[in-house]
Amino acid sequence: MIARRDVPARLLSRRELSPTCFSLLLATSEELPAEPGQFGMLTCGQGLDPLLRRPFSIAGVRPLGREWGVELLVKEVGRGTGWLRRAPLGTTLELLAPLGHGFNLEAGAAAPAALVAGGIGLPPVLFAAERLAEKGAPFDLFVGAATAQELLEVERCRAAVAAVGGELVLCTDDGSMGEPGFVTAALARRFAAGQRWGRVLACGPDPMLQALGRWSITEGVVAELSLEEPMACGVGVCLGCVVELADGRRVASCKEGPVFEASRLAARWRP
Amino acid sequence: MRVDLSTAVGALELANPVMAASGTFGYGLDLLDLCPPERLGAVVTKGLSPAPRAGNPTPRIVETAAGMINAIGLQNIGAEAFCQEVAGELARRGATVIVNVFGERPEQYRAVIERCEQAEGIAGYELNVSCPNVDHGGMEFGHDPHQLEALTALCRAATRKPLWVKLSPNAPDLVGTARAAVAGGADALTLINTLRAMAIDPYRRRPVLATAFGGLSGPAIKPVALRMVFEVHRALPAVPLVGIGGIETGKDVVEFLLAGAAAVQVGTAIFRHPAAPLRILDELEEFCRAQGVERVSSLIGGLQWP
Repeated sequence: MIARRDVPARLLSRRELSPTCFSLLLATSEELPAEPGQFGMLTCGQGLDPLLRRPFSIAGVRPLGREWGVELLVKEVGRGTGWLRRAPLGTTLELLAPLGHGFNLEAGAAAPAALVAGGIGLPPVLFAAERLAEKGAPFDLFVGAATAQELLEVERCRAAVAAVGGELVLCTDDGSMGEPGFVTAALARRFAAGQRWGRVLACGPDPMLQALGRWSITEGVVAELSLEEPMACGVGVCLGCVVELADGRRVASCKEGPVFEASRLAARWRP
Repeated sequence: MRVDLSTAVGALELANPVMAASGTFGYGLDLLDLCPPERLGAVVTKGLSPAPRAGNPTPRIVETAAGMINAIGLQNIGAEAFCQEVAGELARRGATVIVNVFGERPEQYRAVIERCEQAEGIAGYELNVSCPNVDHGGMEFGHDPHQLEALTALCRAATRKPLWVKLSPNAPDLVGTARAAVAGGADALTLINTLRAMAIDPYRRRPVLATAFGGLSGPAIKPVALRMVFEVHRALPAVPLVGIGGIETGKDVVEFLLAGAAAVQVGTAIFRHPAAPLRILDELEEFCRAQGVERVSSLIGGLQWP
């Protein structure tokens, strides 16, 4: 397991991705390797308000000259993310990472994986896609958003899928790009037509993950879901982010997750 | 100049006055890589009940202005698992461990203490009395001086180790409950626990937390906590106090010491910065050096009253 570190992280660059989303590249002086599905806790302000760090799924890590780069994709939803969108480049934040358990990219590698992202659930899925592409492991990628404008990093998705000869399926709720409707429906249609995957890796809004969890259990497909729960600490001590498992236990998603196999989860994610 | 950081809470001597608060530091072994427990004055464990508890449904936490509200529901692994799996390792590391104790009935408090008396390396106990007493229609132990005195006396009879009572700021009569805890045999008082609070989602027109109410913590409550520490210190100057509430900096610690606390606990700050107690300790030492304070303990109760 990769050791977590709490390090200064300099805001190196920012790119607008959509009307609501942007990407950040943070530079740290220490190497911060991470696996797809792992996350970091980032300060989103410099005083005591907002007080808590925000959890962000990591979209990618790479050496950056003599520094180390950590990429995040962020949706502006409140004060913390609004501050991140406007903080001057060069601002030093604090990043505690990598945290939690990510996707299992080894299991089921013989058959192609289905990678599924909804909205701002893209970062860990994109990270997984680019990692699988580097390894030459086959996968199909399903990316959904409310509108064409909110589909993020489409060219990177296309490039990752092209590297392994997979299919990129884009879906929008309003039909303004790709297939109209939810990604989960697009996945189920292909499954019904006989397409098969060794494993489904997914991140997105809770209703999407619930639908995917139920579908995967009904069809007997292993699905790993990256959950998002309100979180104060990210290191298992506040117990704010607990997720209920099928055996009744409530576990901290920051430590045991945020990625869980759907079959381990409680009724909310099951048929 | 070398600063003497040592202090004492009653008979319990501490290497420094900064502890990790209950519910913010796991059982003491969760943040070894970021904040080793043996470097703190003491660690206070997550509240332990005789049997494990699953806690409340989610959402359990919500951020508020310079603070947060939690309603974790006292989820914990139970006294047995703590004693078997955690206490020994804390002792080997040389950590000073205060076990936070709660129950829904007085005998459950006693059961936790009796179990922990068999374990190694436990320095003392802190009673969480903000728990509803199921034998008394759910009224919190800490809100009724008679119940509180009886509960403290029951626990007092179960141990000779230091016994602290963590007072609720929501009690109708703070000084009255402080007196009751001392009358029941408490060696020291920790104050304050969280302030009862709520957050509302204006779009959904519903409370944010699953249980509607929770406890407010963080810098937002520091002025209230300081006032309460000072009031209890003024009323009961001989009783050792442990200050807690929104401590984020070394200067915050100084303020609590001046108000009458012999030591402090850092809580919510750990959520933002797991190594916060160590940083705060460094800042405290730096403050003392800059101000010519040779012994931190000389600050206790040193407030100049107008």
